[in-house]
Amino acid sequence: MSETHAAIAALLVGTLTIRLAGATLGQRLPTEGGWARALNALPGCLILSLVIVMLLNGGPREWFAAALALATAAVTKSLPATMAVGVAAVALLRHFV
Amino acid sequence: MEMNRPARKEALQGARDVTPLAIGVAVYGMAFGLLAAQAGMSSLEVGFMSAFVFAGSSQIVAVERIMAGAGALAAIVAGLALNLRLVLVTASIRDVYANRPFWQLLAGAHLTTDENWALMLARRARRGTGGYAYLVGAGLVLMAVWTASTVLGVVFASALPEPRALGMDFAFVAAFIAIVRALWRGKADLGPWLTSAAVVVAAVASGLVDSSWGIILGGLAGASFAGVSRHV
Repeated sequence: MSETHAAIAALLVGTLTIRLAGATLGQRLPTEGGWARALNALPGCLILSLVIVMLLNGGPREWFAAALALATAAVTKSLPATMAVGVAAVALLRHFV
Repeated sequence: MEMNRPARKEALQGARDVTPLAIGVAVYGMAFGLLAAQAGMSSLEVGFMSAFVFAGSSQIVAVERIMAGAGALAAIVAGLALNLRLVLVTASIRDVYANRPFWQLLAGAHLTTDENWALMLARRARRGTGGYAYLVGAGLVLMAVWTASTVLGVVFASALPEPRALGMDFAFVAAFIAIVRALWRGKADLGPWLTSAAVVVAAVASGLVDSSWGIILGGLAGASFAGVSRHV
């Protein structure tokens, strides 16, 4: 079994377990208090951490393209538009700068 | 799936309403297919993963981690940590799955994503309708579009000579920037997000941990801040 197959299998079982856990045991999770606040904040914090790690692996061209992408996201709130601007910006910067 | 007439109508309504979101999912899916192809995955592996894991950002994170040479365990932990929020997503609509046979609970839970969940909540808020059939109808469209677009991404990628030169490796950074912008809920997020950022930069830039664990540490640090702070 390759690394990729192991990851797919574990993600499949784990993700379905997570979804089922919420659907069946949801009523036992506190809907207020510290645990609820922490779990609510988790998605944003994780994705922010991921973006920072990706940018730490890049350089000034990627940072500039990321700033343009963020501006596009703020103005358009559109995922496709943000992706298009980010990709185009980084391609042009790598080619010409 | 056996359905009575009102349920079928509701499912079709969900399928129609989800179309604009599905277009965004298709772009995201092509980008994931491209990444997976760079990681050496076949279209069959990608199609299987998309249909049966069916959680876009965790698929991208896991494949990205494997490509970075972090190992299967780090890929799984990062992917599953990203999916932990789905406990709250499905828990928040637990009435939808109540009193259903197990296969319907299984199918409904598996087909629940951020997109059709939010869509269903919006429909409920506006019209007071929208339940299991609406969620599943929208979810089936999302799954079909996600699976097809990720496979197309793999096929399309093999026709591209140099993805990096076209800037396509940056598609995920840009996608996550758009998502993180959408997840920003205002000043209450400032403390947790600054905590995450500081921990990630300190942990990864100092070379103390590898990127995958940096992501997890950053996520947990920010969430813990939110948990212990009384003002967020």
